[in-house]
Amino acid sequence: VPPTSQKLAKLLFDGTQLVTNIQVATDAMEMQRRAEETKLKLERVERLENEAKSSTKKMEEITSKWALAKEMTIPQELWQLLSEQQQQCTLLLNQKNKLIDDLQEELKNKDEQYMEAIKKQSDDIFLLLERMEEQIRNMLTSYHQKLLRIEKAFELEQQELLDSHRKKWEEAIQVHNAKELENLHDRLRKVEEFEVQLKQLQVQDEEEYNSMKLQLENDVQNLEKQIEHMKAVYRLNQEKLDHNLKVLKRRDEENTILRSQQKRKLKRLHTVFSNLRTKLANQEKQFSEENQSLTAYCERITNQCKEIQRRMRAFAVSDAEKFTEIWLMNEEEAKGLMRKALDADRIIHTQQLGLPWEEPHYWFLDNVGPLGSYKTKEMVTKLVADVLTAASGEGKKPTPKAEDRASPLQNIPKKTAKRILELVSHELDFLIERKLLRFLSTLGRYERTLMKLTYIFEALKIDSEDDLCQLLDFFLKYKAQEMAASQVGPTGTAVGKASVQEKGTRINQGSPGGEDISDLDSISHTRKDELKYPLSTQRSLPSVPIHADDVLKILRAFVQDFNKLREKDVAVLQKEVLQVRDSSKDGEYWEALTHIIPEPTLKLWDALELALKEY
Amino acid sequence: SFYRHCIAEDPEWSLVTVPSLTELCLQHIADNFEKNPILDRLLPEHQRKVLERLSTGLPLTVTATLKNDEDYWKRCCTERWKLCNVSNYGDSWKRMFLERHLENVLRRFIPNTTDPNQVLELIPLCKDYVKKLEVDQFLPPVKVDQKEEADDVSDTWSDVGLEVSTHHYDLGVLITALPHLEELHLSYNVKDCGMNFEWNLFNFTHQDCCNLAGALKMCPSLKVFKLTHSEVDDDKTRLLVHNLLDHPCLVELNLSHNIIKDKGARAVGKLISQSQLETLNLCNNQIHHLGAQAIAKALAKNPTLTSLNLRLNCVEDEGGEAIGRALLTNNTLKSIHLGSNNLSGPTALIFSQVLAKNTTLTSVNFSCNHLGLDGGKQLLEGLANNKTLTECDLRLAEVSQEAEYFIYQIARSNGEAAKLRSLQHPPAKAL
Repeated sequence: VPPTSQKLAKLLFDGTQLVTNIQVATDAMEMQRRAEETKLKLERVERLENEAKSSTKKMEEITSKWALAKEMTIPQELWQLLSEQQQQCTLLLNQKNKLIDDLQEELKNKDEQYMEAIKKQSDDIFLLLERMEEQIRNMLTSYHQKLLRIEKAFELEQQELLDSHRKKWEEAIQVHNAKELENLHDRLRKVEEFEVQLKQLQVQDEEEYNSMKLQLENDVQNLEKQIEHMKAVYRLNQEKLDHNLKVLKRRDEENTILRSQQKRKLKRLHTVFSNLRTKLANQEKQFSEENQSLTAYCERITNQCKEIQRRMRAFAVSDAEKFTEIWLMNEEEAKGLMRKALDADRIIHTQQLGLPWEEPHYWFLDNVGPLGSYKTKEMVTKLVADVLTAASGEGKKPTPKAEDRASPLQNIPKKTAKRILELVSHELDFLIERKLLRFLSTLGRYERTLMKLTYIFEALKIDSEDDLCQLLDFFLKYKAQEMAASQVGPTGTAVGKASVQEKGTRINQGSPGGEDISDLDSISHTRKDELKYPLSTQRSLPSVPIHADDVLKILRAFVQDFNKLREKDVAVLQKEVLQVRDSSKDGEYWEALTHIIPEPTLKLWDALELALKEY
Repeated sequence: SFYRHCIAEDPEWSLVTVPSLTELCLQHIADNFEKNPILDRLLPEHQRKVLERLSTGLPLTVTATLKNDEDYWKRCCTERWKLCNVSNYGDSWKRMFLERHLENVLRRFIPNTTDPNQVLELIPLCKDYVKKLEVDQFLPPVKVDQKEEADDVSDTWSDVGLEVSTHHYDLGVLITALPHLEELHLSYNVKDCGMNFEWNLFNFTHQDCCNLAGALKMCPSLKVFKLTHSEVDDDKTRLLVHNLLDHPCLVELNLSHNIIKDKGARAVGKLISQSQLETLNLCNNQIHHLGAQAIAKALAKNPTLTSLNLRLNCVEDEGGEAIGRALLTNNTLKSIHLGSNNLSGPTALIFSQVLAKNTTLTSVNFSCNHLGLDGGKQLLEGLANNKTLTECDLRLAEVSQEAEYFIYQIARSNGEAAKLRSLQHPPAKAL
């Protein structure tokens, strides 16, 4: 049995075939018609062409005869010809008319055919419609039947399914009921078991509960006791605290009283304090006045002291002079005596004894002046003069003396030294008195510089060669430091300058009024060559250009250092000044002088005297 | 006592029969909708009621802008036309009404007589809805005196007809103003002319063709274009094809029942190779073997065309062989109709090879040809191993009944197999 879908498909196909058959048939007829049409058309065209050809031929004949007619002269002939022509023309026309009639006939036929075709086509269309409707009806009915059948089948299936499912369901229900019953029995049994257990548990719990209750009641009693105890403690504490509160209140009152007392005291003390402050101010004023007077007094005293020192120095010089004078005088006397003794001795020897006499040679014979005279310190001015001359007259041969003298300045190039000195002389004019300056301006350049330097050094109390050396060294060292600082780095210049300035300011602060000449004077006695150590280290210093602006700074720093050094050794120096004279050999000297005639000679003399006396 | 009396007198009186105020208001709104179309401001239920009561004779200018109005349009359609198959219009009654209304206006449009604003006024109202235009009649311009003469002297029609310009309505303005137009079915002829038949009623002029071609070029959304029963000759075909070349959307072209000859067919062949055409219908034209060869040449390389209809032409064996050879290489064409084409044995021979080799062709139609007994046998041989062909029409093809029956059997079994495959395919896909 073919499946319904195939059946339906076949039905559908057949129906469509039936419907489209009409179209195909019409197509075929149309094809046929077209083919016939083309054939007829060709025939017609051929016929027309033939007709045209024959007619043109006849036409030519007729036209050719017209030419003949012109030659005709006899009217009968002409008439005959004309009638012939007419006959032929009518023939031609008849032919044409016949053709036209034929064609019109054909047209009529065609029209009829067309009508027939239209009729047929309308019939076809009706047929088509009928078939289509039939097809639709058929298809609808068949589809409807199919649908019904399918629905029936579905219903059947559904019924079967329902039945089978119901059976299954009932079976399942029975099984379920059985199980339910079983479960119920189980449950009842379990309930009984549980009831028994429950009872047991209840009894147990009751016992436990009773014991627990007893215990708890005991606990409650204990706790109540404790509570009462705690209450007693609490009361006690409360009383104690009340008492404490009272005490504290009382103390508070006392404190308030005390505070008021203190306040009063404070006021009193304030008044006292203000009094004292006024007193203090008065006192301060008084003391400042006193201080001023005392400083004035101190200045006076220092001036006096200076005066005294100067005088002392003058005295020392005069003492030394006197001493040398006396010494020379005594020596002269002693030498005279000695000469006498020696002469006597020579006479004795040559004349009395006839012995050749030799003049004795003693070291002290040649001595003139005080023995062991200390190396007088070269005066600064001289040194300065040397330096200046040496530098200025470089072409000249320096005298050996000058060379000797310049020895302490060996480490410093002459030119540098000169430059420094000149700078100093220019920059430190303020240290010289006005009058002197005016006077100096009249002098020559060299002299002026020299004089200026002497005065300046005097003012700075630089009066020894060493001091001068120190000064020059200091200059060089200072410059070298600055250079080193500037060479450290690009920022070094600023740093160096800053450090230098800092140094300067520090120095300034260290000795307020360091610029003050009087201050300088007061410390200027002291001198020490402690600065000699840089002298050795800076030996290889290159000549450094020193700017005029720096001179004052440098000098200030120098004076600061210099003064510090001096202060230390005031006493030592004082002594040194006094002990410059070494009197250890004096006695020996004088003793030696007395023993110019040796012991054997004296003995000889004694023997001679005796002999002479005997004689 | 008076009230009691009243109630006693009319026992059927009840408050229900009195219409409520809202009802009255809605009725009033519906009655005066033309003057005061308020609908947006009403509640949805009231809107529905108003739409139910609206008269179908309201002017389109008022009703075209309505919303949620399918029921209203359904009433309009069913009142106006007997047959209403809304499924042809995307299940939109409004679209159906507007399209058919526009079609009616176009059908009755007489150039130089009818006011063109009649169409232009409709454009803004319906341009968002019209997707398909199916106009089976274009009236030619009519002169009054001509009509009189035509009535009086039947012989003069030819003279007058030649003088009068018979241009039809220019669709250019309309088509370019419809942005959603996808289908355009046109027939430049006159229906129901009866005894007033004149040849010039059916004159699709060159000017008409120019206008139409220009309009088609300006309509990029067009997918289906049908121009049938319109005396389209070679020149017009070439003009149309020239403007349809490289059209972005055109999928179907139907130029059936025209007078296209070989040159036109050549132009159509060019169009096949330069567009995305999928369906081409050239039935009932005058294409001979040269045109068929041109189409076959394009077909050999084309990757899009699936259906080709050349029914009622004069392709003959030379054209049929060319098409058969093209199908040896083509593997997209599914359906081909070569009925009534004066084909015979050689074409059948070629097609037996095609059917043995090709695996895409599902439908072949050779009805009303002269294939002969040998041709039928050859086709049967070619089909012996074919599994794709489901339809093969050999009626009136001078084939033996035996061969026709076997071929029919093969096609049917193939069809059933294909059906089964298509049934099995979706679950396989689902897996």
